[in-house]
Amino acid sequence: MAVLRKDPVSSRWVIINVDNPKKPEDFEKEEHVFKKGPCPFCYGNEFMTPPEIDAFRHEGTYPNTPGWLVRTVSNKFPALQIEGDLERRGEGIYDMSNGIGAHEIIIETPYHDKTITDLTDEEAASVINMYCRRSIDLQKDKRFKYILIFKNYGAAAGASLEHSHSQLIALPMIPKNVLEELAGSRKYFEYRGRCIFCDIARQEIQEEERVLIETNHFVSFCPFVSRFPFEIQILPKEHSCHFHEIKEKEMLELAKILKETLLRLKVALSDHSYNFIIHTSPFDRESHDYYHWHIEIMPRLTRVAGFEWGTGFYLVPTPPEAAIKYLKEAKI
Amino acid sequence: MPELRKDPIIGRWVIISVERAKRPDDFVSTNGGPSEGECPFCEGKETNTPPEIYAIRKFGSKKNASGWDVRVVPSKTPFLRIEGNLDRTGKGIYDVMSGVGAHEIVIETPHHIANIADLDEEQIAKVLTCLVERFKDLEKDERFKYVLVFKNYGWSAGAGKVKHSRTQLIATPVTPKRVKEELIGSSEYYEHHERCIFCDLINQEIASKSRVILDIDGFISIAPFASRFPFEMWILPKKHSCDFYNLSFENNLDLARIIKKTLLKLRKGLNDPSFNLILHTAPFRRKKAGYWKTINEDYHWHIEIMPRLTRVAGFEWGTGFYICPIPPEDAAKYLREIEV
Repeated sequence: MAVLRKDPVSSRWVIINVDNPKKPEDFEKEEHVFKKGPCPFCYGNEFMTPPEIDAFRHEGTYPNTPGWLVRTVSNKFPALQIEGDLERRGEGIYDMSNGIGAHEIIIETPYHDKTITDLTDEEAASVINMYCRRSIDLQKDKRFKYILIFKNYGAAAGASLEHSHSQLIALPMIPKNVLEELAGSRKYFEYRGRCIFCDIARQEIQEEERVLIETNHFVSFCPFVSRFPFEIQILPKEHSCHFHEIKEKEMLELAKILKETLLRLKVALSDHSYNFIIHTSPFDRESHDYYHWHIEIMPRLTRVAGFEWGTGFYLVPTPPEAAIKYLKEAKI
Repeated sequence: MPELRKDPIIGRWVIISVERAKRPDDFVSTNGGPSEGECPFCEGKETNTPPEIYAIRKFGSKKNASGWDVRVVPSKTPFLRIEGNLDRTGKGIYDVMSGVGAHEIVIETPHHIANIADLDEEQIAKVLTCLVERFKDLEKDERFKYVLVFKNYGWSAGAGKVKHSRTQLIATPVTPKRVKEELIGSSEYYEHHERCIFCDLINQEIASKSRVILDIDGFISIAPFASRFPFEMWILPKKHSCDFYNLSFENNLDLARIIKKTLLKLRKGLNDPSFNLILHTAPFRRKKAGYWKTINEDYHWHIEIMPRLTRVAGFEWGTGFYICPIPPEDAAKYLREIEV
């Protein structure tokens, strides 16, 4: 069982693995290379993963056998564990809690050599549909307050398996970065009576300069305040605080804009590693009307060093206004 | 002129470098480190750096010539520029500020040595003296609110091609977000307890012993309770002080000793890993800045060392949650037992 601990100064929570602590020699110093050998996410290898939680399957096929399009399984090496009750306790000035949570893997395709940009629009839409289905299901568990859906693509982004997949983590508390975003957007809302993200979308669309793709319901752009070079955000134009409330007909549109955005990124940066993260509202029964869900795509091009860690200041060597040009010019 | 831009949502500032704009193919792969070219920081190569700002020199030696122990020069590729006024402007919902600041390199030895742990204690003490002097000088410039001192050691910690041991110093026109969070956290604790949170932390760590790595000469090094990274280490002065640059001359040598021993343990125990070292100290108290009255009592300067052993991925970026794969108690025990 992992423990969660809270830094008393900055209120930052961390997860400490107390059961299987890594030994000093376990850490790799050099670049990660994907393991050879059979892939547990491939079609026909369903027995290699923990039992499946959910899947889109051809009619008449059984769980944990071939015949699926998108498949969700528990992480074999979870950061948090699903069983148990949440217990918080103190130790002098320190606060801690046990590491309850869910950690799931969404396998996006049965084929090992396909990435999200190789999928058809319908296939990519069913990945998004799966994100929503898992979010809706996990919300029923009263222990969880927040669901984070993210993807690590490439070794430099922290991926350990090559086969295209996303991850979902359900947490017993609202994480610090999310709290900060909520607090910031709430302050803006109280002051101006408007959603800050709606205002951002409006200003970006009006200025045009940093917009990559605009569809009926979504816009993808390089944010004015990017933290990383070639950072991209995808925002629904219509106000909505919960990602999982996306309408079914909009899923296909989101799939299209996500695919084209990632494809442009792939071509412009010759297939670099990236992380993408879905930022959405917590489900703690409070109203989060002032918040607006969105997707952040962060290519892993620079090494984050002492300055960034120490200050929370990020150095962006490519202005978003320059990055957008390469992305627009990319031949796809 | 680079630009500072403020995130309207969480108040984070970023620097947008307009002149040094990189093209996609300028990014080197993070695989390993490139081979080292000629070192501009070695003794005898003084003309390869911008003119020196400060140095500890042997008697009779000349500026920008051989004969120095520690040398401070401006960065050749600065994040921020020293010239210009602080201009703040709005752009719709966004805030923009001109990128004024100082970016200096403290060359820690005239010899081509990569790791500060390999310098002797007296040499490290001279580096600390240089830093103190730079703080005192930069404080006079009213445009600056904060001085960040940090060290990137090794390729995966963000160090450049040149391996010569050095520390960087950046003076910023705003108090950075991370620093502000720490200051707010400390002042809130003080409001409730009328004690410094770091002093309480030091007392608790010394009493419980399990996370202490070294306890010598008025300083302790610990593996912090809520470590974000495996083998993360903090060095704290036991005597309360919010400003690093009030360090006295004799304390300099004590601090040098614990820095050297702590980093030697890291090098020996983990096979010379990359790390970042960051000095956390109070901002300059400017008249207009409106810092709370208790900062002298509630904040406590310290050093944080973060070995780069794991990769930060989507989860950490998205949540500010860090996954630490080894308990700090185990890390401290391991490091305690390494003889240096």
